[in-house]
Amino acid sequence: MLEAAAGKIVVRGLTRRFGSKLALAPTDLDVGPGGVTGLLGPNGSGKTTLMRMLIGLTKPDAGAATVDGAALEGDGLGIRRRCAYAPGEIALYGELSGAQQLEFLLRGRDRDAHARAQSYAQRFELPLERRVHAYSHGMKRQLLFAAALAPQVRVRILDEPSEGLDPTKRGVLVELLREDAARGTTILLSSHHLGEVDRVCQRFVFIHGGKVIANESAESTAARARRLLRVAYAPHDTLAQALARAAGELAPHVRSARVRDAELLVELADDDPRGVLERLARFDGLGAPTALEFGRASLQELYRDLYGVEAC
Amino acid sequence: MVRWLNSTLGRGIGFFIVLELMLVPAVLYWPDFSKHIGKFRALAPLPVMRGIIDTLETGGAFAYVTGQHFFKGCNTLGVAAAVLLSVGAIAGEAHRGTLEIFLARPISRARLLTERYVEGALAVCLPVFLSTLTIPALLEHIGEKLTYGPLLWSALHTNLLLLAIYSLGFFLSTLSRTPLAIAFGLLFFTILQFALYLVERVTHWSLFRLTDVERFLEIQKRGGLDPKYWLPLAGVSLALYIASLRAFARRTP
Repeated sequence: MLEAAAGKIVVRGLTRRFGSKLALAPTDLDVGPGGVTGLLGPNGSGKTTLMRMLIGLTKPDAGAATVDGAALEGDGLGIRRRCAYAPGEIALYGELSGAQQLEFLLRGRDRDAHARAQSYAQRFELPLERRVHAYSHGMKRQLLFAAALAPQVRVRILDEPSEGLDPTKRGVLVELLREDAARGTTILLSSHHLGEVDRVCQRFVFIHGGKVIANESAESTAARARRLLRVAYAPHDTLAQALARAAGELAPHVRSARVRDAELLVELADDDPRGVLERLARFDGLGAPTALEFGRASLQELYRDLYGVEAC
Repeated sequence: MVRWLNSTLGRGIGFFIVLELMLVPAVLYWPDFSKHIGKFRALAPLPVMRGIIDTLETGGAFAYVTGQHFFKGCNTLGVAAAVLLSVGAIAGEAHRGTLEIFLARPISRARLLTERYVEGALAVCLPVFLSTLTIPALLEHIGEKLTYGPLLWSALHTNLLLLAIYSLGFFLSTLSRTPLAIAFGLLFFTILQFALYLVERVTHWSLFRLTDVERFLEIQKRGGLDPKYWLPLAGVSLALYIASLRAFARRTP
């Protein structure tokens, strides 16, 4: 029996295969109540599959989930009534006006949802009287986001809500997300825009190859970024062996140490890199470092350096 | 729903207008046809066609009108309408990528599917009934008189076949994302059925034997539908609707 708390997303062992491809390995996840959680990962990593399963669009092969206390069962109607969803795919009915499209998207929602969606659309300066086929990619995305933000629910699941938006509109989106989160809404969003995720999320879930490879708070991620040391060396014949040996010897004294090309990537145990640098200076075969970076890793770099996968 | 209803309503009205445009001259032509029926028989190239003309001669105005309206009009236009209104119902959404927003709303899949099924079915069946209702008035212009009863029973019988074809298209639509491929497949199937009908040796294998003039004369004589025909037709539609519900429940956008 899963914990079914208000405003929480609880996932236990959710799994899905498409033919021989494992889209999502057995996954456990707890999100909320409240706050914005970023679901990060490259294309095809399983983000959309997980989100679609959570609202009953894709049936899981195994596992269970609850969203805002409603269990994932049947066609997921119980969950869809309790949460709003913005799809990642942008396909709308071109023959409808923006206002009619909102009406379509908000069918089954509370009576005031349409008025709220229109006010959000106005924040984005969307011409709701115009037909959707005249909308740009970004405008369609904003319309979907306005519709997802309108229902009065405790949970929102947003699949790449900022994809295709210009920086100004992305700023409006971040502002709206913050306002919504401040009202206590639990938001699970996927994104490739790590900068924007960095600004709005309190928690990051990294997913790769259908597996959750990290799930940590923004503070913990920032602390890790501050402890990340990157030391580059001039390439030579025996550098690879020397770096491997150095990483192996450093490992007991640091959180992690790995080699990438001619670089040594070290996550320190504390905020002081001097001890590690002194050890590296004593190693034979490395030579003098050609570049050194410490405590300045962006979320994207951290993601790449710690997990060896690109975020986008 | 408004968008779909608009387009379904539009197609239904279009179907009715075309059906009526075919019906009016056909009915008004009956006096000339009956006068020259022998010449028509002489022109008919196939024994099956000559058989139809014989039936029209013995069956009188009722046989002629049901032949024109149900056997010719509904079996061609009606089948086309049933195919065109069914294949896009779900496959069309998948094809244009809107299936995700269609399903993501807080409405059960069973309800979404049933709404689509019923809207399309009404758009196919109602025009057949409505155009049938105009037949007695049209016949009065040429001095003929027919009662509504046998005509409406015949319309219901025709609709059962159209509904079965519509249900087949609808079921295939819940499985597919290429409405055009289903439409071509079903239209090829129905053309094949017409071809079978015209070949004397295999005519009894044709689906359209179920809705030819002989069948309507039986309905007139019986004063109602024969369960031997209507039960299997209704059963096929019901089975395909249930199969559609099951397939749609598992459908991934």
